[in-house]
Amino acid sequence: MIKVVNVNKSFKGLKVLKNISFNVNKGEVISIIGPSGSGKSTLLRCISQLEEIDSGYIEVDNIPITKKGYKKIGIVFQNFNLFPHKTALENIIEAPIVVNKINKNKAVELGKELLSKVGLLDKQDYYPYQLSGGQKQRVAIARALAMEPEIMLFDEPTSALDPELVGEVLNVIKELAKQHMTMLIVTHEMKFAREVSDRVIFMDNGEIIEKGDSNKIFESPKHIRVKAFLSKMV
Amino acid sequence: MTYILDVTRFILKGAITTFNLYIITAIFCVPLGILLAVFKMSKYSILSKIIGIYTWIFRGTPLLLQLFFVYYALPVIGVSLMPFTAAALTFVLNYSAYLTEIFRAGIESIDRGQFEAAKSLGMNYRQTMTRIIIPQAVRRVIPPTCNEAINLVKDTALVAAIGMGDLLRAAKEVLTRDFSITPFIIAALLYLGISSIIVAIFRRIESRYSIFD
Repeated sequence: MIKVVNVNKSFKGLKVLKNISFNVNKGEVISIIGPSGSGKSTLLRCISQLEEIDSGYIEVDNIPITKKGYKKIGIVFQNFNLFPHKTALENIIEAPIVVNKINKNKAVELGKELLSKVGLLDKQDYYPYQLSGGQKQRVAIARALAMEPEIMLFDEPTSALDPELVGEVLNVIKELAKQHMTMLIVTHEMKFAREVSDRVIFMDNGEIIEKGDSNKIFESPKHIRVKAFLSKMV
Repeated sequence: MTYILDVTRFILKGAITTFNLYIITAIFCVPLGILLAVFKMSKYSILSKIIGIYTWIFRGTPLLLQLFFVYYALPVIGVSLMPFTAAALTFVLNYSAYLTEIFRAGIESIDRGQFEAAKSLGMNYRQTMTRIIIPQAVRRVIPPTCNEAINLVKDTALVAAIGMGDLLRAAKEVLTRDFSITPFIIAALLYLGISSIIVAIFRRIESRYSIFD
């Protein structure tokens, strides 16, 4: 479903992604883990076309991301990036109305359905500043889902949250996994990554140094750096 | 008392020009400022450079000089304008330059994440600007725009320099006729009154836009 082939990316001479290649199959959940600064977020940003790659190739459903392939992708950011001048419901229905040109009543219906899916129907008229971090992130997930993406990318979705709010966001993502949403998740929540993902990609220093079945990697990592990292994190 | 009323009436007649100039400048420079700000930040670098030169000239030279230039120097190259037209043109050009920079700064102060969120939802540049960025930027540019709106009230007094009768000039005429400073006090009070109304209007707008933060 997603094909990433030999992707390289550097910022001002600093190589942040080195020859990254992997595939994501339909319905699969993959977690990308690894130390800070290893290029995980940059990789997600390249896949969603927020950054341009220097060389290599990325396609979604056989369509290069440079040619509208990215429109099949939904992304959830670490800092939510909700539109502060719009209510929870308006945040969700904005793109369906403006981009997909669906009529407003239909969009509202869709928006309410998504809000109830993330357990926030009662907050539909709240502005982002009136919501907790966890609630904001759940609205952001609903907003991305409203465009009916085929793949969801999560860029450290719980890193900006107070510890007690992490669970509610992870539960929403787990729920999506149950419904076989294809997902690529950058996270530092190891327990969650192990539980939710089919496969794990471990990145360090801009390289993929180990990838494979989630349980295998967490139980018996091969690479010494993966072992060291996991023993610190778990 | 009747003297004060008479003088006030006379000054207010002069104020009509001030008022007309104010309205015309305000109507044209806000949309022009937004448009130029958006173009200045666009990827068309030639356009953005031209706008840069324009704001550099109009913010870097005295408004009075610009007024002289439009009224006295343009006729040299065959463009003769009526005093009011010359004044209106100068004021629109001058204030649009300031507003361009204010609006540009306002738009650039919006978090990058907002652009990214809009892009990731499939919005194009125009949709992102009109639906997401500008509505948020408006809130931030209200205070500096209010300053400009007050400055404009006072700057209109410069038109006396090209022979136009405005509020201040009317006051000065009475003063030279009657050897009394009363007309100046009345003029000062009128300026203060107008400025206060403008501040009140902006406060209204500001509170309407502040619901979300």
